Amino acid sequence: MSLQASKPVIVLYILILISVVYFVLVPVVSVVYYGISSGEPGVVFQGTGRALLYLKNSLQVSMPVTLIATAFGLLAALTLWRVKFWGRSLMRLMVLFPLINPPFVGSIAFIMLFGKRGLISHNLLGLTVSPFGYYGIVVMQCIGLSTLAYLIISSAIQEINIDYEEAARNLGASEGRIFFSVTLPLMIPEITVAAMLVFLSSMSDFGTPLIIGGNYQTLASDLYLQITGLYNMRTASLSGIFLLIPCLIAFFIQKYFSGRQAYYSQSVASENIEYTSIPAAVKGILISLTGLFIFFVIIKYGFIALGAFTEHWGYDFSLTLRHFYKLLGREFAPFINSVKLALGVAVVSSLLGVVIAYLLKTRKLFCVRQLDFLATVPAAVPGILFGIGYLVTFKYPLFGVGRFIFPEMSPVILLGTGIIIYIICVFRYLYVGLKTGYALLEHLDPNLEPAANNLGAGDLKTFVHIIFPQLKPAFAAAFLRNFTSTMTTLGAIIFLLLPRNKVATQQILQVAGSSEIGFAATLALMLSLLSLLLLIVFQIIVNYQGLIGWFKSKWGRVRRVRNVKMLTGSNFSGEKNRETT
Amino acid sequence: MKKVLILLLAVMLVFTLASCSPKETETENGTGAEVGTETGTEPEIYVGEGWSSEYYNPETMKGVVLNLYGVTDVVRPILDIFEEDTGIKVEHLTLKNAEILQRLSNEFDVGVSIADIWFTGGADTFINAAQNGLLIPYKSPPGAELDDIMKDTEGYWHGTSLTIVNWVVNKELIEQKGLKMPETWEDLLQEGLKGEVAMPNPASSGTGYNTISAIIEVKGEEAGWAYLEKLIEQVSFFSPRGSDPAQHVVNGEAIVGINPTDGGRELEINNPHIALVYPEDGTGWWPQPVAIVNGTKNEEAAKVFVDWLLSKRGMETIARERYAAVARQDVERPEGIVDISTINLFATDFQLNAERRDEILAEWEKRVSAAAR
Repeated sequence: MSLQASKPVIVLYILILISVVYFVLVPVVSVVYYGISSGEPGVVFQGTGRALLYLKNSLQVSMPVTLIATAFGLLAALTLWRVKFWGRSLMRLMVLFPLINPPFVGSIAFIMLFGKRGLISHNLLGLTVSPFGYYGIVVMQCIGLSTLAYLIISSAIQEINIDYEEAARNLGASEGRIFFSVTLPLMIPEITVAAMLVFLSSMSDFGTPLIIGGNYQTLASDLYLQITGLYNMRTASLSGIFLLIPCLIAFFIQKYFSGRQAYYSQSVASENIEYTSIPAAVKGILISLTGLFIFFVIIKYGFIALGAFTEHWGYDFSLTLRHFYKLLGREFAPFINSVKLALGVAVVSSLLGVVIAYLLKTRKLFCVRQLDFLATVPAAVPGILFGIGYLVTFKYPLFGVGRFIFPEMSPVILLGTGIIIYIICVFRYLYVGLKTGYALLEHLDPNLEPAANNLGAGDLKTFVHIIFPQLKPAFAAAFLRNFTSTMTTLGAIIFLLLPRNKVATQQILQVAGSSEIGFAATLALMLSLLSLLLLIVFQIIVNYQGLIGWFKSKWGRVRRVRNVKMLTGSNFSGEKNRETT
Repeated sequence: MKKVLILLLAVMLVFTLASCSPKETETENGTGAEVGTETGTEPEIYVGEGWSSEYYNPETMKGVVLNLYGVTDVVRPILDIFEEDTGIKVEHLTLKNAEILQRLSNEFDVGVSIADIWFTGGADTFINAAQNGLLIPYKSPPGAELDDIMKDTEGYWHGTSLTIVNWVVNKELIEQKGLKMPETWEDLLQEGLKGEVAMPNPASSGTGYNTISAIIEVKGEEAGWAYLEKLIEQVSFFSPRGSDPAQHVVNGEAIVGINPTDGGRELEINNPHIALVYPEDGTGWWPQPVAIVNGTKNEEAAKVFVDWLLSKRGMETIARERYAAVARQDVERPEGIVDISTINLFATDFQLNAERRDEILAEWEKRVSAAAR
């Protein structure tokens, strides 16, 4: 059913192919080469020893975090979508908080609550334990990443076809057996995606170990410290290679799993997926564990908000607006820059991703698998490493051959231009639009386009008037994900920023390291609120018809379910995202 | 369809050209400013209120933009006042010391000019940069007012204010545990402070390195390392960044923290349970330099910046806005800033310590891992 590609489409496709190779493959290869060629064998050997030591730490953190966070995500998803109880809608909302995560300050909150003289650990429980080190990192990452796992797994749960369960039940299987042999296997693709993403995020997180790691630093934070403290970007790149290897392995393992989706259900999601009978004990355990998780989330966010409004966070709780006045006295430019970057990247990256998905699925083209793979690779490359890759690649003139054709033109060097941070973010998040696009296209009537063509519409006209409106939900979902990610990103762009386009996260990292933690909380909170506000505006623009309908309908349940799905946008392995218009 | 293609190519071309254009405008500004100096005769010196510069030209320099790297956001108000005085706008980017060094050497290798000036940071990184040809020497006339220790003999950098190593002490916990308020470095070794001293890692923090190298320099190799070995025992872990210990002490995670300060008392004022202590038997310090980056397209304007910053007007602004102890003696000390003459500063050879960095850090690493065993 693939159409023959017309000439302009082929040219467009070649351009896309070249730019993906140039902005994804070349930087990754460069950074690997740069790391390996870091000098005499002795230096490489020494660097390898250091990297292996920190790699051990990284894995020691990431493995349990992956297990725990995925388990908690699964648990919360089961509880909140398949068990009926009072207060469930509220809990569903709360669980989404970390989507607009205020960066870096969560770890500071943790120190104040559970530290040597922490409010909970010391003042309440009378313990004196140091929060710094291994356990601090694991706990913080679990809280942050369980939400990620929840979002992805819950989208699978909503799509599950419970007819299979019914069938098993009618055949006399016990509830436990049904769960383990029917329900769980149906969700395997999403669970593996969730586990992989949690693993990747944990591996590449440098902020948490930096703030509460103490002596226990991981490969990602050591990479940052090697550059900022030891003045050595080459050995840092060498460490980066060791960070890249397990990430790529995880990536391929997941690809292997999702390639075997033999169990996948094809029918429409069931409207009513709650368990009808469930033992009170099981129900109680599920709800209390999920409640515990949400309790942690609330404590974390409530405490950050408290920090923004009190004299001295964690010490003097008299209310004040001091930090906000201080905010007014500072430059606003970084916040504006953050919004500009996030908007630009979200629009371009999501659109490009969806268009690529569309081209790959509907046209007979070459190098399809290669392009798909290359566009997805940045998901597995830790941001900070990708950033160094850009640094070492684009300090050289763009397309070196250009000088021979236009000898008059001065070479275009991307490093030092404002556009480079846009480019890196666009290509880093390309896969999100690509995957949401794929998922939606599976349900698009393949005859739409030939029909339009037969009626005399050209490729472009067909795309703009027929196909794009159909793809809008995929674009919207990718937009939301990319917007929030870009607002809080730092690793990838930290070495590429210019004095004139510095972003808010960079400033928050600076302040979060100082003693003005109340102010850090304020800055982080402002960034979160700003992204929340813009997301609401975006939702209104995209869904204004839907919103009118929402007010008209009794409870707006259907709409709400869809909004959650759009927020999660978790179509990594081809989630069945129904076209509901 | 062809139209679309042409449009696409056009857009790409525009993008390519657009990325060249800012450079051209910058050079225009640069050449405009040079006119005054090329006349050959005695240059006309512009005299402003409390500052002067032979390179300043009010007509051509309005609207010139300088890019600045530094290690703190606190410089922002100073840069705004500079703009009010001269019309030259300064955009700043706050980075870590080593990041700046890394960036400058990258930019120098490639020939990309991002930063024009570098203001604030550790003296050792400036020395390192000067040795690698990343800076342009400029003997600014007001720089003559500074003590020799505050500036580079060749004029590669000039100190503006002082950063002093002091201790952030949690008074409440000292009282609670019945400890002696620390006054000398020996006091940090008291039994009750075991695991309660916070100190940045010398390998990743300028403050950490300054502290250990100064102690070795002042006490001598043997006594210095003997002291440091005992100090290592007191520290529960070495934090990655120089600013971490103060935060840990404020939160009660440690009782005494080794901390870099500009000389202000803000931390004490905002936190009643905190005291700032300057060790009686001397402490580490370094100047916060300013330097012109090699490769700048705005050398004239950068020189104006240095002249202005080192002038009485500039130093007064630094003292007031940054709340810092400044390098010039003829500037009035604002309320709340520590009087440097009351502090015992270690005599420090910054050049030597910059050269010995690798050697000292390797030795340090050895002692730390020995203590861990």
